[in-house]
Amino acid sequence: MSTTLTIAKREFRSNFDSPLAYVVICLGLILLGVFFFMVGGGFWQADRASLQNLFGLGPRGLSLLVVPVVTMRLIAEEKRSGTLEMLITLPVKDWEVVLGKFFGAWGLVLLLIASTTLYPVLMFKWPWHLGALDMGAVFAGYVGLILYSGAAVALGLLVSALTESQVIAFFITWVVLVVLSFLNMVTDGVGNPAVRSILTFISFDARLTPFARGMINTRDVIYFVSVTVGCLTAAFHALERRKWA
Amino acid sequence: MIEADGLSKRFGSLRALDKVSFEVKQGEVVGFLGPNGAGKSTAMRILTCFISASGGTAKVHGYDVFDDPLEVRRKIGYLPQRAPLYGEMSVWEYLSFVADMRGLDKSTFKKRMRGIVEVCGLAQVLGKDIRNLSHGYRQRVGLGQALVHDPPILILDEPTSDLDPNEKAEVIRYIKEIGKERTILLSTHNLNEVEAACARAIIVSKGRVVADGPLDDIRARSGKVRYVVTVHEKRVLDGSSKKPPTAQEVQEALLKLPGVTHVSELPTDDRAHSFQLMGALGGDVRPELFALIVQKGWLLLEMRRESQTLEDVFKVLTKGDERKDRGRRHVEDEHEHEEEDAAAGAEDEADDEGDDEPDDGGEDDGAEDEGAEGEGAEGDDEPGDKEEKAPAAGKAKKG
Repeated sequence: MSTTLTIAKREFRSNFDSPLAYVVICLGLILLGVFFFMVGGGFWQADRASLQNLFGLGPRGLSLLVVPVVTMRLIAEEKRSGTLEMLITLPVKDWEVVLGKFFGAWGLVLLLIASTTLYPVLMFKWPWHLGALDMGAVFAGYVGLILYSGAAVALGLLVSALTESQVIAFFITWVVLVVLSFLNMVTDGVGNPAVRSILTFISFDARLTPFARGMINTRDVIYFVSVTVGCLTAAFHALERRKWA
Repeated sequence: MIEADGLSKRFGSLRALDKVSFEVKQGEVVGFLGPNGAGKSTAMRILTCFISASGGTAKVHGYDVFDDPLEVRRKIGYLPQRAPLYGEMSVWEYLSFVADMRGLDKSTFKKRMRGIVEVCGLAQVLGKDIRNLSHGYRQRVGLGQALVHDPPILILDEPTSDLDPNEKAEVIRYIKEIGKERTILLSTHNLNEVEAACARAIIVSKGRVVADGPLDDIRARSGKVRYVVTVHEKRVLDGSSKKPPTAQEVQEALLKLPGVTHVSELPTDDRAHSFQLMGALGGDVRPELFALIVQKGWLLLEMRRESQTLEDVFKVLTKGDERKDRGRRHVEDEHEHEEEDAAAGAEDEADDEGDDEPDDGGEDDGAEDEGAEGEGAEGDDEPGDKEEKAPAAGKAKKG
């Protein structure tokens, strides 16, 4: 288990060795601010002490910009450069490598999520008091965001384990995440009720809506957790495959 | 320490390894030789549990690579081909990452580092990012990471590839230094390095072991000694009234000498006749040569005796196989049949390895034939430098 932690630490730190992580984090926060306060009416027009908008924008922003960038190189790059061989021939189990990589990347995304807690703190605690904020809803929203980001990172890790090219890993992850995160926008237009219910079932944004309202559904929690576990297991098997291929 | 028993590995239809067996004993530094694509890296990856064999077993330090991969990896230090390292980390960071992964505590790590920095010559670069290092330093860092946990066994996959001659010599020197107290399996296709660092070599070709033994034995595998004799074409010994010899005369006289099996003329200018002679290993025809030349009154310009270099043997051993495989690739239908032939050939060669084989001489001739044919095939397809460096045995046959 300590090796998992070592890999996670290395992975997390390596994000800050290139400017990419800084760029992504800064850009993410700036865009979030712009969208939250200004675009489409934004916070001021809504005129309510609510961060619901944040929890709607957050996951989509992560899917569009952050998660694919963070996860694309996880395993693909190591495969391409051969460092994977070095890593795996250390006394470490394959699942520890997968978990270490996962936590390293998730850690960065969680850091970004944590930095958005500045919004509720600055706006509703100190120095400004813009109204009575429902802390329960904020808490639930963050739970949703954390669960969602775990699933998204695991998915990106799986894609990265399946290819040797960072670019391919980026695009596949991007497409899959964007589809899942915006799926609920199109489900209403689908005529067939069976198809619609399936689409709603797998849609990330439909799953996240209750969290933003302050409702933590066991079904939604289990959905995100199982996506995470499923993707990690698949990534583990993708990594094992090298032995027999 | 390392025992491979009948290791096989298939990548789809390609046989990367075909029943490879060998053993490396404690304290040995063994060269694992073969042309590119012979299966050296595949074998090493199986030994380090990076990939699994399709058949056969291997034990490292008593642990089975299939059942106890973690124990095996704890006992070995491994340097993969081209030393893949995390470029964004500094040397110190990287080595301490490896130490963490291997469960070393901080104080042990620092103690070990003192030795490693000295042995691998890393003092200058500890704080530098790995991506900014030269190939030579990268290989040294790679060696360093393999030594961090003081392993009893080292597996080094082409530690000297991509290096310039000075760096190569350095790395070999480090390996010799390290090899004083460790078991090392070292793969390379550079024969000089093997001669510099190893006492024993295992030669693989097309996934099979074609030779395994002390370097001297392997050198003797061709069973021939080469002599070069040059006599003056225009003059004879002072006081002699004889005419200068023609090339044919000299060749015939040389061929009559006892112990000489082949004679072929070497290219020279118009002042000398130069001949290459092949004699049996262990014998020495130089006294007879000298007596002959004195008796004939020829003017001797040069006479030298060379045992086969490892390089010659390597070429002979690995080229015969190449020819077979070439045949195998052409027609898909005959695939299995040809493969059987090839396998039979390999068995012959394997028999050949036994030093106590009674019909050693005969087998050697067979091996030599293969070499000659292989060379012919090569000449057709790939003219160029290889033709010039053709093994002595092959040339003798032609002449």
